[in-house]
Amino acid sequence: MSVVEDRTPEGPGPARGPRRNFETWSWFFMRLSGLALVFLALVHFSVTHIVNDVVDTDYDFVADRWDNPLWRIFDWALLALALAHGLNGLRWIVGDYVRRPGRRRLVLGLLYGITGVLFVGGTITIVTF
Amino acid sequence: MKPASIKEGGTVYRGKGGQWSFMAHRVSGFLVFFFLLLHIVDVGTVRWPAVYDEIHSLYGNVLLRMFEVGLLFALLFHTLNGLRIVVVDFFPGQAGNERRLLTAVIVLTLAAGLPGAYVIMKPFIDGRF
Repeated sequence: MSVVEDRTPEGPGPARGPRRNFETWSWFFMRLSGLALVFLALVHFSVTHIVNDVVDTDYDFVADRWDNPLWRIFDWALLALALAHGLNGLRWIVGDYVRRPGRRRLVLGLLYGITGVLFVGGTITIVTF
Repeated sequence: MKPASIKEGGTVYRGKGGQWSFMAHRVSGFLVFFFLLLHIVDVGTVRWPAVYDEIHSLYGNVLLRMFEVGLLFALLFHTLNGLRIVVVDFFPGQAGNERRLLTAVIVLTLAAGLPGAYVIMKPFIDGRF
């Protein structure tokens, strides 16, 4: 697949060819972040639920793991990509089901607010531990 | 082609595999996103080790283990169905294979999910929790 440049239509009728607007990039981002999350999310779940039992993932387990900066980078990448991927997915869902403009603005505002606070909070947790 | 008549709030879809996988993708994504929000908060308590350990010991409870099994299935389905979407989007020739790809998604979700569910439930099956 390739992203085709904007084209001027050569005759009458609607413009042809893909146009690169925000939604094009949003569509593309979902595929790219999704592919990265296949790796990040499945490794994370395996480590915390399959390889180790969830009961053993206590404070000492986290402290031991975050001793290694690579695990912090891994966890932060998972945090950032999963939140962005989920936020964009929920934005699409809200766009489909919440039709009234005022209510849509309210729901999206809450969604952006909560996600933003948790992104900052999660980042502080990982960086300052 | 004559457009299908759509009642207010109705749909042109006829409830075949494509529509159900679309809905299941949304529902599983929504569930994983809300677990993620909760999970960022619970990991945030790690700066108070006693609080973190107390909250975390709850995850060994049989109800929460069943919840983790649900999370695993949601995660696996969303991942594999997402890969199916990427395949169909980037290799348009595969669109004709859509039904076989969806069958593969369901079979692989079960093939990875059932052994995973057994591993997660094993401490309970062994009578430890």
